[in-house]
Amino acid sequence: MAEDMSIERYLEAGGILSNPANVPPRYRAELMKLMATFVDSELAGAAGFADIINAAPGLKERIAAARIVLEKTDHAERVLKVMGEFGADTARYASHHPWTARLPRDADIGTTRSEHDMRLAVFNYPLEGWSDAVVMNLLMGRAVGVQLAELAMVSYQPLAEAFRAIAPREARHAELAEEGLAQLVAEPAGRDALRASVDYWWPRVAASFGAADAAKFAALKAMGLRRTTGEELRTRWAAEARAVLKPLGLTAG
Amino acid sequence: MARFHELTVTDVHKTIRDAVVVTLKPANGAAQDFDFIQGQYLTFRRDFDGEELRRSYSICAGKDEGILQVGIKRVEGGAFSTWANEELKVGDTLEAMPPMGSFHTELNPQAEKQYLGFAGGSGITPVLSILKTTLAREPKSNFTLVYANKGVNTIMFREELEDLKNLYMGRLNVIHVLETDAQEIDLFTGLVTEAKCAELFRHWIDIGNVDTAFICGPEPMMLGIAKALRDHGLDDALIKFELFASAQPGRLKRKAASRDAASSANQATASITLDGATQSVTMPKDMSILDAALQNAMDAPYACKAGVCSTCRCRVLEGEVEMVANHALEDYEVEKGYVLSCQSFPVTDRVVVDYDQ
Repeated sequence: MAEDMSIERYLEAGGILSNPANVPPRYRAELMKLMATFVDSELAGAAGFADIINAAPGLKERIAAARIVLEKTDHAERVLKVMGEFGADTARYASHHPWTARLPRDADIGTTRSEHDMRLAVFNYPLEGWSDAVVMNLLMGRAVGVQLAELAMVSYQPLAEAFRAIAPREARHAELAEEGLAQLVAEPAGRDALRASVDYWWPRVAASFGAADAAKFAALKAMGLRRTTGEELRTRWAAEARAVLKPLGLTAG
Repeated sequence: MARFHELTVTDVHKTIRDAVVVTLKPANGAAQDFDFIQGQYLTFRRDFDGEELRRSYSICAGKDEGILQVGIKRVEGGAFSTWANEELKVGDTLEAMPPMGSFHTELNPQAEKQYLGFAGGSGITPVLSILKTTLAREPKSNFTLVYANKGVNTIMFREELEDLKNLYMGRLNVIHVLETDAQEIDLFTGLVTEAKCAELFRHWIDIGNVDTAFICGPEPMMLGIAKALRDHGLDDALIKFELFASAQPGRLKRKAASRDAASSANQATASITLDGATQSVTMPKDMSILDAALQNAMDAPYACKAGVCSTCRCRVLEGEVEMVANHALEDYEVEKGYVLSCQSFPVTDRVVVDYDQ
């Protein structure tokens, strides 16, 4: 049998890897970054949302918010487990960083990450009360849906499977936000604040798809870690998010 | 982090000329740690001439056999597999980490599923574990195995598969595809390629009814089979892969020691290789290698910057660095010169590091 194929060529041809034993060093590094980005974003997202539970207007909303916090933390744990198979100290990882830390609301950081964790830039901004959190959760929830559809196809099978298991529950989080927002828009008094929240979060969520870097994308694509450019994903998200906002009488971007 | 445990060898026998089946018994009360899932693998470690080698081998036993067994095929020039085939004997002790891997699907005694397995050569080991367990635990499910080998003499577990066919009459179908030995049906001679699969799917295997496919073999074979499966409508989520590359990282050379330079000032020069490009940078000795790379516009990998996640791992080829914290790399990696670049500061005036190794 022809067995003389390099892992790099195998990956370029759409090959799938299944264990840490034979991932090339650069693949390992990019895979770890991708996982750390997801884990840190989930932990930071859950930490930010935990404070919001107490701001929820009713019991149903409290339960929804608590569930989101619980499940996002669980999703972080699932992906952290895969990192652990590469040697990451999973116990220490969860507590090495204050996940509730946020920048001022008017900080302008574009797509840059903070010094000490890999959370997407959008998770560095603070939530301002219940309705703001619902808007953020809806817009970001739809973005996560678009990202997870892409990530469920990564060439590292244990991670692809984790993402496939996570995707439907993350989709439910966005649905909960949509249901919450439908209730909020019914109150005329709060509409201006909702519009302001959409205007605030829209560009920040849009930035979470990353800046265009053709060389970087080509390298990740060759490794089977990306298929679609950030720009295409952003466009897909914007169309989907607008379609959700429109019947609620909200516009954006 | 996973720990190594001692296992006692209770049986070693040849399945073909070039492969042994090794039965192991966890020692020192570690039995529970080795309660495996079908299709998982064990990672062994052993010292060869002062250098630690690690190799992963799939478990070939089924869940209900009550034993822990791996198959080890001798690889040309492979230190571990040659040793296992030629010197390993009953009573020896091996060190292995608890079973790992996700090459399996959940079983349900009520299920009536059609499973399809592809194995190339020693890729049979995890597939054998899966098919034995599945046939025993899902009495209404069937399993078809397409098994590729060079010739009749190199078929691992040939007799065992025959016995299983008799034991599970009508539920296990085995198609041997042989590269060099002619068979009654032309289709079963040659390599298992995309085209061969397409033919198999036309006449012998109904992909429309397949619930899950398992593939374990060399890279080109996996690609061809996966493509054929996708082209015939099988969803990616239903295709399970296990790859142990024919070229698991070989012996690594020791880092070249250059301890000549008596360190003078606070300055060091670092030669940093990333994605095939090398940059020479001047840096203060109280700056981490990672920060030096980042400051020089290199896209060096990192995540936690706390010595926890190991994303920033690189290898020191020359000179010496001090790693102030390490919660992720193991001793054998450190011995080979790997460091966490976020925690590593130059000690010598010149260091050479590589992120590509």
